Amino acid sequence: MFGRLVKESFVRNPRRKLLTAAALVVGMAVATSTLTIALEVGDRLAREFRSLGANLLVTPQSDTLPVEIGGVDYRPVDEGAYLSEADLGKLKTIFWRHNVLGFTPFLDVPISIQQSENAAPARTMLIGTWNAREVPVPDGTTFKTGVSITHPWWKIRGRWFRDGANECVIGAALAKMMPGIIPGKVIYVSNETAGNSVQDRSTPKAMPLEVVGIVSTDDAEDKAVLAPLEIAQKLSGHPGMFRQLFVSALTKPADAFSERDPLKMTPTEYDRWFCSPYISSIAFQIKTILPGTEVRTIRRVADTEGNILSRVSTLLWIVTLTALIAAALAVAATSATTVLERRGEVGVMKALGATNTLVAGIFLAEQLLLAIAGASMGFVLGAVLARSLGSSIFGMPASPRLILFPVVLGLAAIVAFTGSLIPLRRAARFSPAPILRGE
Amino acid sequence: MATLVQVEELRKEFGKVRALADVSFNVEAGEWIAIMGPSGSGKTTLINILGGLDTPTSGQAIVDGVDVARLDESGLTRFRAQKIGFIFQQFHLVPYLTAVENVMLAQYFHSTTDEKEAQLALDRVGLGDRIEHLPGALSGGEQQRVAVARALINHPKLILADEPTGNLDEANEETVIQLFRELHTEGHTILMVTHDPAIGNLADRRIEFAHGRLVKITPSTDASRNAYI
Amino acid sequence: MFWRLLWKLLRGSGGRLAVAILALASCAMVVSALLNLEFDIERKLTQEFRTLGANLLISPRNAQITGSSPAEVMSESEVSAAIQSVKDPNVIAVAPFLYVVGSTQNTPVVVAGTDLEELPKLEPAWRIEGQWKLSPAQQTMCLVGRKVAQQLKLAVGSSLNLTYLKQNVQLKVAGIIDGGGAEDSQVFVELPEAQDLASIPGQISFAQLSVSGTTAGISHYAARLASALPAYDVKPIRQITEAEGDLLSRIRLLIVSMIVLISVLTALCVLGTMAALAMERRQDVGLMKALGGSIGRIVTLFMAEVGVLGAAGGFIGAILGVELSRWMGQRVFGQAISSRWEIFPLTIILMVAIALAGALPLRLLGKVKPAIIFREQ
Repeated sequence: MFGRLVKESFVRNPRRKLLTAAALVVGMAVATSTLTIALEVGDRLAREFRSLGANLLVTPQSDTLPVEIGGVDYRPVDEGAYLSEADLGKLKTIFWRHNVLGFTPFLDVPISIQQSENAAPARTMLIGTWNAREVPVPDGTTFKTGVSITHPWWKIRGRWFRDGANECVIGAALAKMMPGIIPGKVIYVSNETAGNSVQDRSTPKAMPLEVVGIVSTDDAEDKAVLAPLEIAQKLSGHPGMFRQLFVSALTKPADAFSERDPLKMTPTEYDRWFCSPYISSIAFQIKTILPGTEVRTIRRVADTEGNILSRVSTLLWIVTLTALIAAALAVAATSATTVLERRGEVGVMKALGATNTLVAGIFLAEQLLLAIAGASMGFVLGAVLARSLGSSIFGMPASPRLILFPVVLGLAAIVAFTGSLIPLRRAARFSPAPILRGE
Repeated sequence: MATLVQVEELRKEFGKVRALADVSFNVEAGEWIAIMGPSGSGKTTLINILGGLDTPTSGQAIVDGVDVARLDESGLTRFRAQKIGFIFQQFHLVPYLTAVENVMLAQYFHSTTDEKEAQLALDRVGLGDRIEHLPGALSGGEQQRVAVARALINHPKLILADEPTGNLDEANEETVIQLFRELHTEGHTILMVTHDPAIGNLADRRIEFAHGRLVKITPSTDASRNAYI
Repeated sequence: MFWRLLWKLLRGSGGRLAVAILALASCAMVVSALLNLEFDIERKLTQEFRTLGANLLISPRNAQITGSSPAEVMSESEVSAAIQSVKDPNVIAVAPFLYVVGSTQNTPVVVAGTDLEELPKLEPAWRIEGQWKLSPAQQTMCLVGRKVAQQLKLAVGSSLNLTYLKQNVQLKVAGIIDGGGAEDSQVFVELPEAQDLASIPGQISFAQLSVSGTTAGISHYAARLASALPAYDVKPIRQITEAEGDLLSRIRLLIVSMIVLISVLTALCVLGTMAALAMERRQDVGLMKALGGSIGRIVTLFMAEVGVLGAAGGFIGAILGVELSRWMGQRVFGQAISSRWEIFPLTIILMVAIALAGALPLRLLGKVKPAIIFREQ
């Protein structure tokens, strides 16, 4: 009988329920879309921040002091320590391998350039690196990486060199200083620090390299020649080696916890730290897998990313909270108003002998039905909204989080209930007669 | 005596339901007419039309020379303000205005307000000491008397009353009916819907309705009039 | 009578009007807080981006390729004069740089002469260990990179002797820098010391600035500075400004979308509440029509009521909104958001507009016959 009463009550006079239903749909749509965005935005933005380039730098642990200006190491090739290129595939085997988006090794060699075999030499640097390298990973796959990932702001006119080829690109400043060097031309490079060491005899006197492009980096590299890592290795007499490695990793903003010394953590804390993609944790894992290295956080990039991400995240959650409260108020207000409007029905029911509990029960059951209907439609609408927002902002639609559905449903029910409760309590005190008389 | 109201072949339909069918009658100025009949017979519909609160489907309803059926919205508005004083069964006082303000409301929609006049009107109905009361602080009878004062304030040509004592107890009913008798003596034209034969007997004529049709017009006798004490 | 009626109307239905004002005020509060946020967010975020360090570079135009000696130089006084002449409140830090590859303890080391006071402002992300405070008397202070300290076994307070060709300078380590980049292998000294060392007084290799603002704003400043320094190159550092510009616009879009979403919702809810209120007034409207009131007059009366509610709600909400945005600013940025006074009247007008829009159903009642209204009782 109760079910029948509810059904009858629900079906009658749909106009009055429309307002509550509308408030529910709109309210839950906004709740769904804001919650979806708040949950997704951290990951999306973190990915966008990788346009700032590498956030980790790997160098040999025991090394001499680098002679670095603006990222180019001017040390003679005989000095200092090197790292092995062959080990680099292991980077994609660490716990957070999927967060390692790219890595690029560098080897800087002081050279002389000649525009033709007998022309006057000019002194500059040759930077050996990877453009787009398929790195073999121990599990059998390959991973494509290179400067386009760790130094995305480098712009090339012409094209990049092919890995392993006798090609190079020259920096924009160098191109201005030596106007004769244009893409298509061949230049001759030789190791500047020609000495009497054994390695010298195996290196060619002057290596021809075809210039295939001009790169603009806005930094010290603009005055140098960039070539495949193999060329630098050959020129320096250190095959299979490199000096420093830039790594671009997807990280979670650092907080007080992540900055602690892992050696001083309890086993549970250690696990939590290890299993979170903090930059300190990823750095630690890299250091473990590449022995003899020192892994440092590039603070400019990591700190900025961390600060902004955590601020935007907080902001979004606050805004979402505001949205949820606003939605809740809206639904409660309209619930309250419609219950008040239906005083007449309450009067009739009570005159017929319905107890307060029964009247309340029927109304609340109705509100529940409305909540389910409204929340479902609102959820779909909200998911669509979040999707289109995600597309327009991040170029990737935000996938609807189904876990939100019960949350949104629960929210709708609670709010519709609470909104009706207050007027229902007042309605309980109504005596039927005045209502039936029409007062 | 001049004919104040002329109803000719009046018809009102709500969809398929025929509320009034071919009703025709006249009312002279100064007459008190009781409109009677079972519920659903069309009584309220009739006086709603005569009072400009509703429009007929077809036919004529001429009140003080104006055919209500032909009036547009603003014409009806003016008609209601100037020519009619309506008294409802449910009083319909504005709950957040005092008694005098409720009367002044009618003045406001007619022309200008005059608080002194409104106070006098309330005096006239015996509520001189209740002018600042809100309807909630007045008894049913007192509220209806405020409604009467309101209905009279603009010196209407026609007073329409729809079961004015329907929501009142016996004592209050007596007071209000007494008021109507005084109004009748003063020469006002009254059309009153009622189901109470005793009240019907106080009127000059009784017009009876059934199923939307006028079935009988009975003039009252002095004897029946005096039977109501 | 009109004002008396209006006053009575407003006083009248107590509870329901309180709900209406509550709804209007909450909406106004949310909208004005979010509007404040929106206006200020760009400024706050661009400040955050300054942790990226220098984003503007002044460098010599015709650089030469050479080895370790500083061959490309600019006039220090020319550059600082130009910067002085193009004053801009968005410039957070300015630092000249002169690089010399000197040596100490028989190890070659890159020496960077700069303004040690400006350096931490230029690169706020660099961690500098050591309670160092620069005073004019202590010209012979230096900051060393982490790797330098490690290699040469230096600590805060250690002495350091730098040599270049025949020049020599004695310095005291005031702090150790950890930045993760090239700075970790460099020694930073006051510019005059480096100039003395290299025997090129009044010259610098280049200058770097940290300028806050949008990509457009920074380019504009760069252009102004470039016209004051025709001999040199003035360029935004692309790595920074491009990424920053892109990220900033995405974040702004995100926040603006959220704000629009929420504002629309709250407006809709207010609309609903107002519509419900208007429905409540049906009886009154019907009665007034029955009494001969013209629909124009009646509607004006009720619209006035709704307008006053809107203004009252808007006013209260705008005040609360300022508080709310202050709290939000504190939670998110650790500093209060500066509110714009324009938001106040804007919010009030908005609320009045929404309230009136919600009461629109009243106008429709103009068509309805009083009899029908009464029948619905």
